[in-house]
Amino acid sequence: MIEIDRGEVRRYLGFKNGQTDESTEGLIDACIAKLNEEAVPKSVFHAFDLENPVGNVLKIEGLCITSANLAKNLKGCSCVYLMAATLGVGVDRLIARASATEMSRAVVYQAAAAAMIEAYCDEINEALCREAGRENLYCRPRFSPGYGDFNIKHQMDFARLLDTPRKIGLTVTEGMALAPSKSVTAIIGLSREKQPCHIKGCEVCDKTNCAFRR
Amino acid sequence: MNLCERLGREWLFFDGGTGTILQERGLKAGELPELWNLTHADEIIALNRAYLEAGCDIINTNTFGANALKFTENLTEIVEAAVEHAKEARRQANRPDARIALDIGPTGKLLKPMGDLDFEKAVELFAQVVRIGAKAGADLVLIETMSDSYEAKAAVLAAKENCDLPVMITLIFDEKGKMLTGGTVESTVAMLEGLRVDAIGVNCGMGPRQMMPIVREMVACSSLPVIVNPNAGLPRSVNGKTVFDVEPAEFAALMREIAQLGVQALGGCCGTTPEHIRAMIEACRSVPVAPVTKKHRTVVSSFSQTVEIGGAPVIIGERINPTGKSKFKQALRDNNIEYILSEGLVQEDKGAHILDVNVGLPEIDEPAMMERVVTGLQSILALPLQIDTSDAAAMERGMRLYNGKPMLNSVSGKAESMETVFPLVRKYGGVVVGLALDETGIPETAEGRVQIAKKIYETAATYGIPKEDIVIDALAMTISSDSRSALVTLDTLRRIRDELGGHTILGVSNISFGLPQREIINANFYTMAMQNGLSCAIINPNSEAMMRSYQAFLALTAQDEQCAAYIAAYGGQQSTAPVSAAKAAMPLGESIERGLKEHAVQATTARLEQLAPLEIVNNELIPALDRVGKGFEQGKVFLPQLLMSAEAAKAAFEVVKSAMKGEVQEKKGKIILATVKGDIHDIGKNIVKVLLENYSYEVIDLGKDVPPETIVETAIAQDVRLVGLSALMTTTVVSMEETIKQLRAQKPDAKVVVGGAVLTPEYASSIGADCYAKDAMATVHYAQQTIG
Repeated sequence: MIEIDRGEVRRYLGFKNGQTDESTEGLIDACIAKLNEEAVPKSVFHAFDLENPVGNVLKIEGLCITSANLAKNLKGCSCVYLMAATLGVGVDRLIARASATEMSRAVVYQAAAAAMIEAYCDEINEALCREAGRENLYCRPRFSPGYGDFNIKHQMDFARLLDTPRKIGLTVTEGMALAPSKSVTAIIGLSREKQPCHIKGCEVCDKTNCAFRR
Repeated sequence: MNLCERLGREWLFFDGGTGTILQERGLKAGELPELWNLTHADEIIALNRAYLEAGCDIINTNTFGANALKFTENLTEIVEAAVEHAKEARRQANRPDARIALDIGPTGKLLKPMGDLDFEKAVELFAQVVRIGAKAGADLVLIETMSDSYEAKAAVLAAKENCDLPVMITLIFDEKGKMLTGGTVESTVAMLEGLRVDAIGVNCGMGPRQMMPIVREMVACSSLPVIVNPNAGLPRSVNGKTVFDVEPAEFAALMREIAQLGVQALGGCCGTTPEHIRAMIEACRSVPVAPVTKKHRTVVSSFSQTVEIGGAPVIIGERINPTGKSKFKQALRDNNIEYILSEGLVQEDKGAHILDVNVGLPEIDEPAMMERVVTGLQSILALPLQIDTSDAAAMERGMRLYNGKPMLNSVSGKAESMETVFPLVRKYGGVVVGLALDETGIPETAEGRVQIAKKIYETAATYGIPKEDIVIDALAMTISSDSRSALVTLDTLRRIRDELGGHTILGVSNISFGLPQREIINANFYTMAMQNGLSCAIINPNSEAMMRSYQAFLALTAQDEQCAAYIAAYGGQQSTAPVSAAKAAMPLGESIERGLKEHAVQATTARLEQLAPLEIVNNELIPALDRVGKGFEQGKVFLPQLLMSAEAAKAAFEVVKSAMKGEVQEKKGKIILATVKGDIHDIGKNIVKVLLENYSYEVIDLGKDVPPETIVETAIAQDVRLVGLSALMTTTVVSMEETIKQLRAQKPDAKVVVGGAVLTPEYASSIGADCYAKDAMATVHYAQQTIG
């Protein structure tokens, strides 16, 4: 079972400093329980060599990515993991069903599922870090298409390189959204040097007025 | 003997892995294996040939991922080359007896509504490959590695509609026996049998050992030949490479076990090689092949559930039907799908097993409505549906887009009816209700109805539709005009069960038409009908009296082990205390602020005794909503609380509305809401909708992934002055901009408010929007400013 961080659920719901009420907390409990029933978490990852970057241009298995933010994240790395994870369509169905009858429940599902996929990615990420550690390699924080200047169009490349539609049922729409919606693709750099770096998501994002910014 | 006739009389052996072998020969991650048909012809021919030399009867073309999404330019060339390579291998191996399967894998896209691939587009993508492959000389179509039943259906329809070759299909299940989109062995077998594929099976995902329980399950429920093509064990990642552990000898030994489970064809998938297949064939050849056995079960299915008719009585919910329901009729006219869906969800909660879907109204486009309702229902609930219409076009549309094996209501003994309905059942599959009436009318005797039932069975058989796919409606006619009519109906039920071995159905409540307190008659007749063999009843599951009859009948006929269901339903009921004084006393305003729906309803009901409906709305409801809205803006109330309040207010409005019967409640003005083209995230839009409706705006919800043209056309046709657009992603803000551009040109007086995760006030103004709304309340305020 994936341990969902309730603090994150509250944050996604817009609560500041933990001030929720009894009925909201009850709803969160109910939604988390149901999500645990309906989610079918699946993931896939693969290690690739990272060619020596030239400026902000990164090359991985014939894939060419231009991104200053990603280049900074991967500085000093010689190989990377690409990973993809999804909670499956059951979760989308749950949200759609609640949307038809009870939006309050739908938004809590949405928030809890978002926290759940993050927690699931953290689990995978930690396992990969442990594996890398055995070879004295250190993981960089995972970085996803759409973060900073890392073009979201690379979702397609992740799906192709990891064969995600076949392996875990994760597809990419023409608009570059992942379907099922509660899914993540990410790149994790591996380097010989340990870097005390915990930047995750928000800090590289340009949308500084975002209500959910940490 | 043709290929299909051979199944069950002799073993048929399929080939093994393709992709995993090509990877060993240098295919890179992410590289499309089908391109090798053009660039590495020799490798492909050698692979096909190696499998033939290993003893395969059927080899697959290297076309797994060949579709026009991946190969926009050279699809024909690639598929033709693949078939030619297989033919060349057959010549080289001197195996003229071998058959070439046109291999079709999934599109790599998720179908709507979870993804963005339209069902008919999927059919067309598969159809292109089928046409090219069949023309090039493939001997059969093998659809494989399908992990979504809906996509599987699209592929089968494409194959059936575009060639005369045998169509076989293998699916991928996980250890729990589930497909990625929720399908089970039983539900998909039901659907695919209905679609009349020639063989069905399992491939990929697991090794032979893990696959055995799935194979057993499939053999137990399938009346079709079963194919088993496992991987060489479970995939494992070693140094970033995927490896499969089961060696040829072990694979062969396990496949020999599978060969004894009653299957008819064997092969391999990822990780298996010609050596695996050779060893498998040697090990299995001597095992006697099991003949295919018909199961004669009457089964309907949804994407994930099956309901078997003929065991415990089945409840078919009748509430999705406009007959005699003005609110439902209005919902159909207004295209208010949400209302219809909620009727479905309520019936599911109350214990319906199947939902009848009737959306016929003279003034609407019934096929289009059937499509919206069937696809809407199957995207949020898992009950099988009964497509109920007398419009053949609506029936076909519903059947085609239905993700499962539907129930159909209905055919009759009239020649014209059978000529219309049976070809549809033959093509799409389904269990069809046969009304025991014909050109001469409704027979007054059971004997007459039994004769018509026989005629329906016999005619169905000429279309290849087995008796188990027919359920006879013995016809309940009101006892108020003929006091013997119930007796005739009951006699008919009994005789169809005992003499014809058939299943029956009734629209139970017709029995009491014209009488007072109809539930009394209905519930008692229902019990009598079940006792006389009624297999399924179309009833109102919201009727407590009917459900009591049902629960009691099960308990009394040993169909409810230890009365568990009965006790679960009625055990704690007496302890439900009357509403406590404190609860009832909560003022309306407070119950809305605290988001307590039941209290809000009670408080409103109580207030209606003292105040006029409009006074309640203006003096209590709206002010409470305003207070909650203000609290939200001040950061004291949060989104779930805002929505719970909105839902409580909505429930209160409903009470007020029913008290205002006749008086038309004033709506403030029309607002279009849509998530723009390319965007499939609609939660934000749905939140805004709830709030706008609370403030009495008439929301025209166009849904998600909405083309600019649809928005503009609707705005013009309904003269809408405010359009709300939502986009979640930078990639789809482009569609938002385009929509605004088209609106400006064609409906210049319409204002546009936009919202969504990636938008900012600056971004919104740069794409020409009139307003950026940071949340739902901001949209409400803008609506108040612009249209009052």
